[in-house]
Amino acid sequence: MKISLNHLKNYVDINVSPEVLCDKMVMAGFEVESIEYAGDNIKNVKVGKIEKIEPHENSDHLQICQINIGEKENVQIVTGAQNISEGDLVPAALDDSYLPNGMHIKAGALRGVASNGMLCSGEELCLTESDYPGASVYGILILKNTEKIGADMREVLGLDDVVIDFKITANRPDCNCMLGVAKEISVVLKTDYHPPVTEYKTKGGDIKDFIDVTVKNYDLCPRYVGRMVTNLRIKESPVWMQKAILASGMRPINNIVDITNFVMLETGQPMHAFNYDKIEGKKIIVRNAEKGEKITTLDGKEYDLSPDMLVIADGKKPSCLAGIMGGEESEIEADTKNLFLESAKFRRDNIRHTSRALGIRTEASGRYERGTDILNTEYAMNRALSLIYELDAGDIVEGALDRYESLPEERIIKVKPADILSLLGVDIPVDEMVDILNRLDLKTTLKDGVFTVSVPSIRDDVEGRADLAEEVMRIYGYDHIISTPMRGDVIRGTKLPEREKSDKMKSYLCSIGCDEITTYSFVSPSSIDSLCLDADDDRRNAIKIINPLGDEYSVMRTTLIPSMLSVLATNINRKIEDARFFEQSKRFIANEMPIKTQPAELPTLSIGIYGKDEDFFTLKGIIEGIMRTFGAHTQYEVSKEPYLHPGRQALVKANNTPAAVFGEVHPEVLEKYGIETRVLVAEVKLDVLFNIKKRPTYYKPLPKFPAVERDYAMLCDSKIPVGTLEAAITKGAGRLLEKTELFDVYEGEQIPEGKKSVAFSVTLRSMEGTLSDEQIEAVNEKIVNNLSKIGAELRK
Amino acid sequence: MKEKIEQLKAAAAEALKNASSKEDLEALRIKYLGKKGELTGLLKQLGSVAPEERPKIGQLVNEAKSKIETAINENRDKIARAAKELKLAGEAVDITMPAKEKKVGVLHPLNRVLDDMIDIFKSMGFDVVDGPEVETDHYNFECLNVPADHPARDMQDTFYLADKLLLRTQTSAAQIRTMETRKPPIRVICPGRVFRADEVDATHSPVFHQIEGLVVDKGITMCDLKGVLEQFAREIYGKDTEVRFRPSFFPFTEPSVEVDVTCSECGGKGCRVCKGSGWIEILGAGMVHPNVLRCCGIDPDEYSGFAFGIGLDRLTTTKYKISDIRLLFENDKRFLEQFD
Repeated sequence: MKISLNHLKNYVDINVSPEVLCDKMVMAGFEVESIEYAGDNIKNVKVGKIEKIEPHENSDHLQICQINIGEKENVQIVTGAQNISEGDLVPAALDDSYLPNGMHIKAGALRGVASNGMLCSGEELCLTESDYPGASVYGILILKNTEKIGADMREVLGLDDVVIDFKITANRPDCNCMLGVAKEISVVLKTDYHPPVTEYKTKGGDIKDFIDVTVKNYDLCPRYVGRMVTNLRIKESPVWMQKAILASGMRPINNIVDITNFVMLETGQPMHAFNYDKIEGKKIIVRNAEKGEKITTLDGKEYDLSPDMLVIADGKKPSCLAGIMGGEESEIEADTKNLFLESAKFRRDNIRHTSRALGIRTEASGRYERGTDILNTEYAMNRALSLIYELDAGDIVEGALDRYESLPEERIIKVKPADILSLLGVDIPVDEMVDILNRLDLKTTLKDGVFTVSVPSIRDDVEGRADLAEEVMRIYGYDHIISTPMRGDVIRGTKLPEREKSDKMKSYLCSIGCDEITTYSFVSPSSIDSLCLDADDDRRNAIKIINPLGDEYSVMRTTLIPSMLSVLATNINRKIEDARFFEQSKRFIANEMPIKTQPAELPTLSIGIYGKDEDFFTLKGIIEGIMRTFGAHTQYEVSKEPYLHPGRQALVKANNTPAAVFGEVHPEVLEKYGIETRVLVAEVKLDVLFNIKKRPTYYKPLPKFPAVERDYAMLCDSKIPVGTLEAAITKGAGRLLEKTELFDVYEGEQIPEGKKSVAFSVTLRSMEGTLSDEQIEAVNEKIVNNLSKIGAELRK
Repeated sequence: MKEKIEQLKAAAAEALKNASSKEDLEALRIKYLGKKGELTGLLKQLGSVAPEERPKIGQLVNEAKSKIETAINENRDKIARAAKELKLAGEAVDITMPAKEKKVGVLHPLNRVLDDMIDIFKSMGFDVVDGPEVETDHYNFECLNVPADHPARDMQDTFYLADKLLLRTQTSAAQIRTMETRKPPIRVICPGRVFRADEVDATHSPVFHQIEGLVVDKGITMCDLKGVLEQFAREIYGKDTEVRFRPSFFPFTEPSVEVDVTCSECGGKGCRVCKGSGWIEILGAGMVHPNVLRCCGIDPDEYSGFAFGIGLDRLTTTKYKISDIRLLFENDKRFLEQFD
């Protein structure tokens, strides 16, 4: 809400500087978006009297002027203008002055004669005839001889105004106007508030002879006030009114339209002016639009209306889009003779809905959406009529058509002062509280230790003691709130077990060189597509956002892999040689499509790595480490993820439940992301891992007896997985096995085609005593037999 | 005899001076002290000395022997030491060569800051809870005192997934879930991801993060709110930080305040960072609105409480002086690894 301070001063006494006013208003709940100083672009330009004019020796058009600016010495200024005479008052831009057109004037010399400034034309001061008479004359602006010599031109031009843009919070629609803000200022500064006059005289007659008003839907239009004005005398509105309208960012049109806008600025109540002679059937009907109806608004655009939209219709058709914009046909024009004036209350959500649906936002619709006061309609109408009367813009017809079903009663709140203070924790004298509330027009009396507060309808945000507490506190001053340390039992907060577990996992991942990333929860459908998933893959059932910012962010992700691949691609494209990334976030899985209920939000971890030292087994190492932090018992199985390399991927089961998939990304997928190097990714279901109950850890005695180490080198079919061989050894060694370590796998020269050589080092130990040769030989025999059963023969 | 002993001593001393290796020393030892050595030889000749002189000469020979022995040993240690030193000197490294460090990863800057905050609030007795990101209209708006078509809904452009299903615009939704499941006294924070339909630019992101705080108990006042926020602000911004309340509006709190802290850049004197005001706005807060308490089945006449919402992204960008919020979601490794 932009407020001209000069305009505002008509309604409230302001005894502080604009800066102090802003500070005080901020502390009362009115944030200041900006302060603009009008005339800020004119500096050091003063009213000067031309005392003497002499010709310039070296020029036939330049003249040397001695200018009196109210100081001891005259200032010498050389000018080329010819429309000046001795004794004229002129605007003199002195040394180091600025003009609104951006010119910076400094002392200098013109053809060898010192010139300590410049005499200005109206154009150079960016003035028009309406700003100052004579401003459009070619040559120097000759000022009225009543101006004070030496006065700052900003004062002369009335450019000493300050425009403050207050941010009005959604709970204070009553402050979207001059009077609301003026009232608040009067409370904050403890100064007088002067509401404007609403007096006028009618020329008799009876409105009922002119027109009839019917409201068909009081739910959407709780009150409609209509008045008639005849014999309009349309002309320009006075300069003071035009200035106020301009300062608020609107455009002056003519006296009638300007009055409706000016009253809206003053009171916050939108008004609408109809050309009476264009109202068909001399009927005003407030009703819902009918199916198929159209309206052409003031701006010449045609809109299709739907039955949930409220219109002001005449006997035949919609004539105005209620509370939003008038129709083109009933517009007030220079030759309009008679006026029907509307001041109405419309339901804010309906205006909001229509305004959104049609994409029209106006000063009026904005105010209706935030909420207007039902009682203010009448006050605003009277104010408008008083201005019509004052400006002699027409003849006011006797009588009003005021339609409503009921008017609200004042809300009464009864509350003990102590109950207000108990929310604040501050001791405020009761008298002071009563005084503050009363100054805010919340009429308060104290009887038997209880406040009775009567809340006017314009403050319908004030509902109970919490609101009263806020009203009292913001005026009394929030700096009175003294902090108290946390009270109550000494307790230490806790984290959810999931967060504890994920913290542990993250610190593991960091310890092995993984950096954490953060990406958006929504992705493009094509990014899920790029994983080459089967047509019936569940991950294709991503939940769509109804109003996304764009296709790029339009579905809730069902997998974290696309986001990870994008991040990897970004880093690879920026020539970063290697990286290890992880992200913990949620996957969104719908319970039904289209969704009706909250989807499952599954905590998920993604990992992405690339670089010359990374391969399937480094990622497998990372996965094993993660499983260890959760105390999971793991198994690896061959998997068939379409986005992974068919021969380099695995499914990980944690305690027999599928918990992760990892592997090298399929080259076809990489191509879609523009990645030209091998990258590896994993997706881990944290919901599965969070559910694992970790067994408690107990001490195991350290070994007392020596271990025996034996190597087993074998030849077998190259298709037999190493894990199968290891399992045979493990089974054979039984409880004497301490560890098995793979130390060589070889295919190639000296090994028959289709075979491979595999070597393990096996450590055996007993906790009971030193192993005897017999014990060792028995184990050896079992191992060899087991290996032989699966087709692995020891190499001699 | 005596002279001979003296001569041998002198010769040995001279030879020792020239000995420079273990081998030289061993040769000297054999020459003088060995079984066939010169001093041993002298001892053998003791028979030829007059009987009354024998003990004296014998003693002289033994003295000479032990003297030479000591000298040889000392020299041996010296040479060994010198050899060790020489070896160590040869092993000197260039300490300015790069370290062989095992690379450690880093948490995302948002989570580093979040972890600090969680520690601070946990120490003040707050439990850390969670809430869903896809919320119902009921939890995100209705129960928070924002009925349908209330103008306050304009303050937050919402992403919808279905009728009455949306991406939460504020972690305040978790307040309601907490109050429905816990009985006062309640002291929780709920960190989480929130969404608003803001176009992406240097200071706006459709995805961002908040930390919601909620305290409900008997007799909670605005002074308690200020106490908690002051302690939090001092832990984050330094112990001299002051907190200021400014009246504001949120539908779910009443009274509502914006909370400013003294600018950590200038200490409140006014600078470019705080645009000359000396204050920086860090969060919104207020006393839980009676309608909200009622909606959760808590009697506002018996209990009161406060709530606050901290913008994690803003806190992070200010802390690290990150100029563009988009960097947080771009995940360039060189960016991420600056925050360890």
